[in-house]
Amino acid sequence: MDFVSTGGGSLVDNIFLLFNAYDWWVYYSKKEEKNLAKKEREEKMYDQAFEEILFSLDETPIYADSGGDQHNDGRDTNEFGADFETLQGLECLNMEQAKNLLNEHVDQLSSKLHISPSLAKLFLHLNEWNVSAIVTAYSKHTNAFLVDNRVKLAATAALGASAIPSAAACTDILPLSPSSSTSKSSTNASSPISCPVCTHPLPGDHFRSLTCGHSFCQYCWARHFEVQINQGITLDISCMASQCNILVPEALILTLLRPSLHEKYEAFAFRDFVSTHPSLRFCPGPNCSVVMRARESKPKRATCNACGTSFCFQCGIEYHAPTDCVVIKKWLTKCADDSETANYISAHTKDCPKCHICIEKNGGCNHMQCYHCKHEFCWMCLGDWKQHGSEYYECSRYKENPNIGRESAHAQAREALKKYLHYYERWENHAKSLKLESALVDKIKSRIHSKVMTSSGTWIDWQYLIEASTLLAKCRYTLQYTYPYAYYMQSSVSHYYTVISHIIPTGTWIDWQYLIEASTLLAKCRYTLQYTYPYAYYMQSSVSHYYTVISHIIQQYTYPYAYYMESSVSHSRKELFEYQQAQLEAEIENLSWKVERAETTDRGDLENQMDIAEKRRITLLKDFHLSSFSNPTKLDIPPQGGTTVPISTKDSSTASIQSEGEGVRSASMAPLSS
Amino acid sequence: MSALPRRIIKETQRLMQEPVPGISAVPDESNARYFHVIVTGPEDSPFEGGLFKLELFLPEDYPMSAPKVRFITKIYHPNIDRLGRICLDILKDKWSPALQIRTVLLSIQALLSAPNPDDPLANDVAELWKVNEVEAIRNAKEWTRKYAMEN
Repeated sequence: MDFVSTGGGSLVDNIFLLFNAYDWWVYYSKKEEKNLAKKEREEKMYDQAFEEILFSLDETPIYADSGGDQHNDGRDTNEFGADFETLQGLECLNMEQAKNLLNEHVDQLSSKLHISPSLAKLFLHLNEWNVSAIVTAYSKHTNAFLVDNRVKLAATAALGASAIPSAAACTDILPLSPSSSTSKSSTNASSPISCPVCTHPLPGDHFRSLTCGHSFCQYCWARHFEVQINQGITLDISCMASQCNILVPEALILTLLRPSLHEKYEAFAFRDFVSTHPSLRFCPGPNCSVVMRARESKPKRATCNACGTSFCFQCGIEYHAPTDCVVIKKWLTKCADDSETANYISAHTKDCPKCHICIEKNGGCNHMQCYHCKHEFCWMCLGDWKQHGSEYYECSRYKENPNIGRESAHAQAREALKKYLHYYERWENHAKSLKLESALVDKIKSRIHSKVMTSSGTWIDWQYLIEASTLLAKCRYTLQYTYPYAYYMQSSVSHYYTVISHIIPTGTWIDWQYLIEASTLLAKCRYTLQYTYPYAYYMQSSVSHYYTVISHIIQQYTYPYAYYMESSVSHSRKELFEYQQAQLEAEIENLSWKVERAETTDRGDLENQMDIAEKRRITLLKDFHLSSFSNPTKLDIPPQGGTTVPISTKDSSTASIQSEGEGVRSASMAPLSS
Repeated sequence: MSALPRRIIKETQRLMQEPVPGISAVPDESNARYFHVIVTGPEDSPFEGGLFKLELFLPEDYPMSAPKVRFITKIYHPNIDRLGRICLDILKDKWSPALQIRTVLLSIQALLSAPNPDDPLANDVAELWKVNEVEAIRNAKEWTRKYAMEN
C-alpha cells in the first residue's frame, strides 16, 4: 500500500477524526486476520509500543532490574557507536581556510596545464574539482575538453587550435590578453567601432571578446556582469552574443566589473565553488560561515566546531539515522502539513532532478531550466530535455486517468492518515522530550554547582553524603509519588530541583558528572529513536530495497523460515525493526526515568541502564542504518527478532525481555477495555 | 528615470524608418520604454487575417535583460496562455543583449506560423493540438475571427 501523500489535501480535513490507540489496534488486527500466528506476534509488538502511554500509569520502571552484570563493555559499544555514526576525518574550515584550499586546487591545476588560474577555476567548477580527471581529459582530447567546458566554440576549435594543442594554444584562448581581444580591431584601431549592444561608437581598444570572437565594448560587458551577478549568477555568465554559450572567466569579470561589486561576486562565486566541491559543505547553522570538509560524502553526522550545529553531511538536514536522506526530506515536508504550505509545495513544486533544489513553476512551459544548476528537464516527467523530443507527449497524457474508485481511495486515505498519526505522535513526542531533556542537563549542572558551593569548601565529603543520602531516601520516597506526574510538567520539575539543591548539599563535581553523561546519552538515544519513525513510516514503500538485502541473506543462510515467508519477506524485516524500536523505546523511558530522579552518587544502576539503552540503539542502527551504506552481502542480519539483539547474549536478559513483553501486554488490556 | 539610452533611441528610430513587414511597434507617448505592438497573423496560418495587439516593455536593465512582452488580444495558441504570456526561449534564459525588439517581434511572428506543442504553455491547447490538429486549428481560426478581427 502506498501511503505517500495521495489525496493529502482531503486528509487534512480529516485530522479532527479522533484517532486513538484502540482504533489502531483494531485496524491492524483486522488486517492480519488471515494469519493468526502473525497476528499474535504483532499484537505483542504493538502492545509494547504502548509502553509510552502506559508508563504514565505505571510508575515502576519496567526494565529496572535486568542484567546488572553487563556494564563493563559499555566503552566498546560507545566507541563503536561514535565510529560508524560520525563522519570521520571531518575538518571545520573558516572562510579563509576554505578559500585557501580551493586556491590550492586552482594553483595545482593551473601549473599542471599551464593555464591561467581563472580558467583553472572554471574547469574545476565544471568538473567537481577533480584535478586528475581534468588533466587526463585535457591531455587526451584538448579540443573536445575545451568545447565541453564551454571555453571554445565547437567550430572554431576545429579551425583554430589545429593539430598540436600546447601550452601556447592554451594561453591563446585566454580572453584577457589584449592581443587576442583586439585582434580584429587592431587593423582599424583608429576608426571607432559601434558596439552591437549599446550602439555607441568607441575606439577599438575599448572592445573585448572571448574565444568565440564576439566583440562588445567593455562597458556593456560590465553591465552584463552586473545584471547577472545581481541574479546570483557568477560562474555561469556567458558571452552576450545570441546563442553563444562560451563562459566568461573570472579574470575578465574582475577586470571590468566595477569595484563595489567585487565583494558580491567573490561571495557568490565562493558559494558556488563550495557547492560544486564534493567534499565541502557549508555549515547549515544560522549565521555560521564555517565550511566543513570531509574525505567522503556520506549520510553521517557532522558537527560544526564553531556553532555546534550537527547535521547529515550528505543532505545538510539534521542528522537522521536510521532514516535515509530522501526519506527524511519527504517526512519533514509531510510533517509541515499543519498549514497548507506542504500541500501547496507538493502541488506546485518539484525538485530539480539534477541538483534537487525545490522549484516552483509559476508559469511558463514544461521545458524547464533549473535556475540553480542550469539543468534542462521536462516538468511533467522530470526527464532530461535533451532526450525528450518526440516522447514529450506521453508525459502529458499520463495525467488523464487517475480516477479509479473514489470511495476506496477515500478509505485508503483515512487509513493512511491513521498510520501517519500513529507515527507522528511518537515522533513529535520524542522531539518534545528532547527539548525538555536538554534543559535538564543545565538544571543538573546548576544543581551540582550549588551542591559544591554549599559543601563548606571540601570537595570530597563522603561523611556528609551518608547523612545526605538518608535524607535523600526520605525525600525520594515522597517525591517518588509525585514524579510520574511531574515528568510532564516542566515547571514543577524545576521547582523540585531548586528545592532539593537547597536541602541536600552532597557529593562533588566528579561524583555528579555521570548524571550529565547519562542525560547526554539519553538525548542521543532519543534522537535516534525519533528518526526511526519516518523510517518505519516509509518502510513498506521501500520493499524492494529490503527484498534485495533479504535475498542475500537467504542465499547465505538458506534460512528455512524464509521459504514460506517469501511473500512477506519485507514484512519480517519490518517486524524486526518494530521490535527493536519498541525495545529502544522501553529502555529510553527507563533511562529517562532514572536520570531525572538520580539523587545519589551511586552510579552503578544508572550506568547499567545506559549500557542497555546504548546497545539497543547500536543494534538498531547497525541493522537498519549501516546497511544503507555498506555492502549488503557483508551484513549479518538474521531475519528474526529476538535472536538478533546482541545484548541478549546472556540467557537471563533474554528471559527478561520476553517476560517484560508479556507483562506489558497484559497491562495494556486495562486502558483498552475501559 | 534616467535619460533614454542611445540603444533604445536607435532601435526606435529604425523601427519607425524601416518597419518589419506585418509588425508595427509604436512607443507610448508618455513612456518611451513602452511599445504598442500590432502583429498581423501570418499567411497560411490559422491566425491569418487577424490583428493581434501586444504590449512590449523595456525594463531598466534592457538590453542586459529581456523585454517583457505579452499578447493583449486573446489567441488560441499552444505557446501562449490565457493571460497572453508567451513561452519563447529568447524571452527567458536564451535572451542575449545582442537581440533587439525587432528580432523578438519577428520570433513571435514566427511562433504564430509554427506553433510548438512540444514546448507548451497552455497545456489544454497543446494537448488538443497534438491529438486533433484539425480541431485545434479550427478553434484557432474561430478565436482569430472572434477576437482579432473586430473593428
